[in-house]
Parts: sequence; structure tokens; C-alpha cells
Amino acid sequence: MADKVTKDWTALVQEQLRPLDLPADERQEVIAELAAHLEDLYDEQIQKGLSESEARKKVMNEVVQWRSLAQNIQRTKLKEGIMNARTKHLWLPGLVSLAAAMGLLMMLTQISLQPRFLGRSPLQMVLLPWLVLLPLCGGAGAYLSRRGGGYRWARLAAGLFPTIVLLVLGSILTLTRLVVLARPSWWYGSLAIALGIVLPSAALLVGTLPFLKTTKAAS
Amino acid sequence: MTKRVRSKIARGSTELVILALLAEQSLYGFEISKRIEERTGGILCFTLASLYPMLYELEKRGWIAGRWEANQAGRDRRYYGLTPAGKKQLAPLRREWNFFFQALDLLAGVTNG
Repeated sequence: MADKVTKDWTALVQEQLRPLDLPADERQEVIAELAAHLEDLYDEQIQKGLSESEARKKVMNEVVQWRSLAQNIQRTKLKEGIMNARTKHLWLPGLVSLAAAMGLLMMLTQISLQPRFLGRSPLQMVLLPWLVLLPLCGGAGAYLSRRGGGYRWARLAAGLFPTIVLLVLGSILTLTRLVVLARPSWWYGSLAIALGIVLPSAALLVGTLPFLKTTKAAS
Repeated sequence: MTKRVRSKIARGSTELVILALLAEQSLYGFEISKRIEERTGGILCFTLASLYPMLYELEKRGWIAGRWEANQAGRDRRYYGLTPAGKKQLAPLRREWNFFFQALDLLAGVTNG
């Protein structure tokens, strides 16, 4: 697709259309097409006898407000609008990741409460299996985001969504003092952060990483 | 006296202009804008900013379809062609514009202007 377009024009359009929030392959196609148009216009001006700088100036006059062009294209291209693009890239995959992680945790907790497992520690019955299975949840979120055309940051956020939610909720509860720690808070606080945020984040990241690679279409 | 039509007036006609041109042959964006300028003697001019959102809009409606192909110079360009749905739209659109000009003529004497 448009492999022979002068890199200069592609870089210019890419830079000017930064606010264009479309799935990666679609965005790339728009950039390639507009860069090709500018390239043709530039060549035409040169053929007419204009100097390179005059031709470039003429080309630059073709679009006065890039931001408004980006908005127009986005509005046209996205049938569902900006909010739904973000839903496709982030919210929905993030919620899938969160639901899977929380569902797993609930299931493992239920299993650990079975009479035959009552003697075993929660670490062995709940936390360790949960951490082992969490990469699947992170991977599912990141995969769905990538399939929806999400950028790398969106795929990462979708994969890590369960711990982001836990961190935000934990911070709100602690800051509003809805949770009051009875023991020296630094110890329980650190333990909660390690077991509830750091280790699950690492596990989710393991599943997310394979989906962070830039696809050919998005490159 | 300038012969160029103000962008607000030109914008309304973009749909018909593009469909009418693509009914003749497949063209890419730059060719479409050049063809419009040449055929109308410069009265209608579409810049990149005014042309592409309309092309994407028509494509979204399913009236035109784009595909990458090499042009005569061997450069990859996105050629647009009319779809069967677009072909169906063209005749009623022409009729509508015809009625519009008749009405405008009755009201404002456009033909004798």
C-alpha cells in the first residue's frame, strides 16, 4: 500500500493527523492516501515550473486546519463515534480481563471453602493458582484490544485493567478512610500492594506482552 | 469577476459531482480533484480537506469503494469506483438537483443571472 510515497509527505501527514484516533490499519491507510495526494500536488507544482519551496508552500496551503480535518475524517470513518472506538480499544477488552480475573478469584475461593480443602492455606489454594492463571486474563484483554485496532497503550491498559481497577479502588477506600487498618499500616499496606497489585500486575503483564508487538498493518 | 463558487455552495454538490465522475471511470483522490477543476474551468475546486471526508462518507454509505492500485507512474494510489448501490443513487440525485435548479430559477432567475 502506497510504498512509493515520499516518506517526507507521509511523515508530515502522520505528524499533522496525530489527533486522528482510528484503528491502526485504517489510520495508516488514511495517512498513506493523503500523503499520496500531497505528493501528486507537489509534483504537479514542480512540473508547472514552481521552485521546490514555492511548490511546498502551495501544498501546505491545501490544508489550513489539520485538526478539523482529522475530526471530520474520524467522524466520517467511525460509524459509532469516538466513544465507541475507545470502548472497542479499551473499555470492553479491559472489562473482559477484569471479569475473567475476578471470576477466577471467586471460583478459586469457592473451591478453597470446600470441606476437603479447609486445612490448606489460602496462599496455596487461592493466590498461587490465581497468579498462574492471570496471564490468560491479561492476554484475553490485550488480544481483544489488538483485534479492535487498539494502540499499544490501549492493549497494555486492557491487559492490566484488573490491577488498575484494584489500585484505584484501593486508593479511594484508603484515602477516604473507609478501610481502616488495625495493625501497623505499613506492613499490611505493603503486603496488600505486593499481593493485590504488584504480583497480579506482573502475572497479567506476562499474558499481555505477546500482544504488544506492533502488527504489520500498524507499523 | 471571480468565477469560483463559494465553498458552502460547492460543498452541497460534492456528492453528485463525485458520483458523476466515478460513473465514467475509477479515479483516485488527486485525479478526482483535478478532473473537477478542469471540467468546471476552475469554478469548482476541492482541496484535500474538503474532498477526502466526502469520499470516506460515500464509501461508508456503500456508494463507492476504494482499492489500492498502481497508477500510470507506478505509484500506489487508492482508486475509487462506483458500487451498484452508488449507480442506483446517481439518477435520483441528478433529478433532485435538476428540480433544485428549476426551483432556484423560478425564485432567483438563475438562468438569466
